Amino acid sequence: MNAAIVTDSTADIPRDVRERLGIDMIPLKVHFGEQSYLDNVDLQPAQFYEKLKASSELPKTSQPSPADFYEVFSRHVQAGRPVISIHLSSAFSGTYQSALLAKSMLEGEGDVTVIDSKSASYGFGMLAVEAAEMARRGASVRDIVDRIERMRKETKLYFLVDTLEYLHKGGRIGKASALFGTLLNIKPILTIDDEGVITPLDKARGQKRAFARIAEMLEAEFGANPLQLTAVVTPGDTAMADELIGMLQQRFDIRRFFRSEIGPVIGTHAGPGTVGLFVRSASLDGQETRA
Amino acid sequence: MTRRSLNGADWSAMVLAGSDHLARHAEQVNELNVFPVPDGDTGTNMSMTMKAGAEELRRKPQSEIGRAAEVLSKGLLMGARGNSGVILSQLFRGFAQAVAGQRELTVPLFAAGLQQGVDTAYKSVVKPVEGTILTVAREAARHGAALARRTADIGEWMQQVRDKAAETLARTPDMLPVLKQVGVVDSGGQGLVYLYEGFAAYLRSGASAPESGREGGAHVSGAGGRSADFRAASGAFAPGSSAAVRQSAQSKIDTESIRFPYDMEFFIRKTASASSRFSEAAFRKELEKDGDSIILIDDGDIVKVHVHSRRPGDVLNAALAYGELTNLHILNMRDQHRDLLRPADERPRAETEQERPGAWGEALGVEAASGVPAVEDPFGADRLPPGQAPHPNAYEIAAFGVVAVSAGEGNGNLLRSLGVDVVINGGQSMNPSTEDLLEAIRSLSVEHVFVLPNNANILMAAEQAAGLADRPVTVIPTRSVPQGLAAMFAFREEDSASLNKERMLQAIDRVATGQITRAVRDTRMDGVDIRSGQYIGIKDKTIVAAADDLGEACRKLLADLIASGDEVVTILTGEGAEESVTEELLAWLEDRYPEAEIERHEGGQPLYPYWFMIESD
Repeated sequence: MNAAIVTDSTADIPRDVRERLGIDMIPLKVHFGEQSYLDNVDLQPAQFYEKLKASSELPKTSQPSPADFYEVFSRHVQAGRPVISIHLSSAFSGTYQSALLAKSMLEGEGDVTVIDSKSASYGFGMLAVEAAEMARRGASVRDIVDRIERMRKETKLYFLVDTLEYLHKGGRIGKASALFGTLLNIKPILTIDDEGVITPLDKARGQKRAFARIAEMLEAEFGANPLQLTAVVTPGDTAMADELIGMLQQRFDIRRFFRSEIGPVIGTHAGPGTVGLFVRSASLDGQETRA
Repeated sequence: MTRRSLNGADWSAMVLAGSDHLARHAEQVNELNVFPVPDGDTGTNMSMTMKAGAEELRRKPQSEIGRAAEVLSKGLLMGARGNSGVILSQLFRGFAQAVAGQRELTVPLFAAGLQQGVDTAYKSVVKPVEGTILTVAREAARHGAALARRTADIGEWMQQVRDKAAETLARTPDMLPVLKQVGVVDSGGQGLVYLYEGFAAYLRSGASAPESGREGGAHVSGAGGRSADFRAASGAFAPGSSAAVRQSAQSKIDTESIRFPYDMEFFIRKTASASSRFSEAAFRKELEKDGDSIILIDDGDIVKVHVHSRRPGDVLNAALAYGELTNLHILNMRDQHRDLLRPADERPRAETEQERPGAWGEALGVEAASGVPAVEDPFGADRLPPGQAPHPNAYEIAAFGVVAVSAGEGNGNLLRSLGVDVVINGGQSMNPSTEDLLEAIRSLSVEHVFVLPNNANILMAAEQAAGLADRPVTVIPTRSVPQGLAAMFAFREEDSASLNKERMLQAIDRVATGQITRAVRDTRMDGVDIRSGQYIGIKDKTIVAAADDLGEACRKLLADLIASGDEVVTILTGEGAEESVTEELLAWLEDRYPEAEIERHEGGQPLYPYWFMIESD
C-alpha cells in the first residue's frame, strides 16, 4: 500500500497543494494571550501578521501533543499503510519529539518513519510534497526516505530577517546570537546548518549589500547552472522580498519558481519581513519530480 | 653654580624641574597643532607623560644615577600618551640604558645618554620623519657629544644643548613642508626644548626655570611665536602622520607586492652561553637583511621574535645560534591574502591558527589573567564544527578580546555592540597612556587581544602597550571611530587572528571618514581658506570644506565623501550637533543620493558635532 505522508503546519505547504496530494498536516498552536489558534488552520498567515502588528506582546507557540500524532498515525496503521512523518527541525521545536512519542505508542503495530528535517518552512514542505508525489506513484518507504534526504542536502537555504529580535526573543537565534544587539544596521544572511540550527553565513551593511552578497553566494555555489528557486515570504509588506526575488530572477537562469507564505508559527519566531530562499540546481531534477 | 657631576637625587630634581617647566608651557605647545582643530594636545601629552615619570621618581627616590634613570624610564614608558609622549619615553629609555650601573652623571656620560636615547627613539619609529622631535633630539645630542670634549660644567653644557635644540627647532619648517605651509614649528620639538630649558635652568641656578612665557621657546620669525606639531601629533588627520607610525599593512593590498611574505613568530630560549653574547642590535641587523616588521623583546632568558621575512630558513638558522626555538608560527601572507580574494566558503578554515592558545604567556612564564587556570580549551574553536564559535564559560579562555579607544558614550555603545570588550574613553583631546591601554589588555581573560586606537595619535602608545603585554596583541591602525566600527564589522570570532587582521585592514580601506569641527585659528590648508570659528570639514586627513554654517559645511564635506552614491552613510552626532541641522541633512542626503543607505546614531563625541562614516564595497 502507498505510504501516507504526514507533516506539521510549519511546513508552510499551501492548502490546495496539501489537499491535492493528500498530505496530512498536524497543526502547531499559536497563543495570543489567552486566545489559542491552530497554526495555518484557524489562523491564516495574512490574519496572523495583522494580529501580530496589533498585539503588544509577542505570541507564544506550542507543539502538537503526541495524541494529535497518534490519532493520525493509528488511522493509517490500522488501514495497513506505512507512514512517513516529516517535521520541523528538532532544534526549534518539540514537534518531532511528539511525533516520535506517538510512533513509540504504535510500536509493533505498523510501519511509522519519523524524520527530523533539520529545516523549517517550505524547506521541508518541499520534502513532504516530493514524498507525497513519490508515494502516489507507489515508491517504497526506503526510496522516498533516501530521496528526500538527498534533496535536503542538495537544497541551499538563505534567509534574511528584518531584525534578529524575534529569533532572539523566541530563543531560536542559534549561532547568530553574536550578531544580536548590534546597533548598526547589519543584515545577517542566515541558514540552517546540518544540525538544524540557525547559523549566519555572512553579514552585510544594509539590505542592498545583503542582496548582492546572496547573489555572490549563489554564483559561487551554482555557477551559471539553471536553478529551481522557492521563496517563502511573510505576508504584508513584501517590497523587500519582491526586490530580492526580482533581482535573482534577472541574474540567474531560474527554471522553476515557487512562492509560498510563511505561516504563523514560523512567523512568530522569524518576525515580519522575513524572506527565505531554497535553491537547488534544476539539473538535479530526476524524472520523479514533476511540478 | 658649577657642577661637574650629578648623583641620582640631583638628577631627579633636575628632571622634576624640567617636567614642571614643560607643564607650564603645555598649552603653548598644544597651540602648535598643524591642523586648526580644537584637539591639539601634544603639549598635554608630553607634559602628562613627563609627570608620570617624575611621579615615579618621587615615589622611589634613588641616590645613584643609574637607578634613578631606570625608575624614570619605567614611569615614562607606562605613562606615555600620544605619539610624542611615546617618543619622549624612548629617549629616556635609551638614556637609562647608557647610564645603567653608574653612580654619578658626568658631562660625557650625559652626552652618551642623550645619544643612546636618540638611537632608541629612532628605532621605535619605523619611518622616522625629519623636522620633528626626533630631529631636534638628534641635533642636540650630536652637539652635546662634541661639546663634552670642551666643557665639564654640566649646567653650561645643558644650556648649550638646549640652545642647539632651539636652533634646530627653528629650522623644522624647512624640513617638513606642512610646518612651513601653516607657519609653525614642530610642537613635539618645542616640548623637548621646554624640557631641556627646565633642566638647564635648574642646573645653572639650582632652581626651576624663570617664568619665561612665550619667550622661553624657540622663535621662528614670521611664525608669531608659534611652533608646530610634530607630524600628526595631536590630530587624527595631519598629513604625513602615517610616516612615523608603523607602516600599515594596507600597503600590502596587492598580493604580489608583499615583499616579505613569511610572517614568523617564535621564541628563542637562550642557552647559558648565548645569554651573554646575545645582542639585540646584532640580531636585529641580521633580520633586517631580508625582513621587516621586526619586533624583538629580550626578556633575559627568552627572546620574543616577530619578523616578516623572505627567507624563513635563514631567520631560524640565525636564531638557532642563540638557543632552542619554541612556539614557532610561520605564515605565508601571500596565501592569506589570496584566501581573502576568494569567496568565503572556499577558504581553508583555521589553517593558520592552531597557534595562539596561550603561547606567548606560557613561554614567558606568565599565568593566565584573573587567576583562571590556563587550561587547554577542551572545546577549542578548531575542534568545533566549522563556523561554530566557542562559547566561553568560567573554565575557558576566549580566543579573542578587543580593546578600543573612543570618545562619546554612543560611540562606545556602537563599538561594544559589535563585539568590543573594553572601551577606553579618550581619543579626542585626551589620549590614554600606554598603561591605560595595557591595563585594558590585561583585564581580558583571552588569548589574543586586538587594539583599535581609533586615532592616529594613539597608535604608538598602542604599539608600545602591545610590546609590553603578556600575550599576543594585534594593533589595527584605525585612525577614527568610523574606521574602528568598520574594522569590528569585519571581525569574526571564529577565524584566525591573522585572517581577522587582514580582513580588518581591508575594511579600514573601504571606509572614508568625515569629521566636522570648528577651526581654532585662521589659516589656509589644503587649498581651503579657513577663518577661526568656522566649521571645517575634514575628509580622512584633508580639510575639504570650511563654512560659517554648520549644515553647509556638512553638505560640502558629504558631497566630497560620497563617490558613487550607493554607499552606506552613517551619521554620528556629537556635542554641538543640532537636531534641525541633522534633520535637514538627512532630507538632503535622501534627495540627492536616493541609492544610498543612510543611518544616524548619537555618538556623543566632544568637539566634533558630526562624524560621517562612508562605506563602499
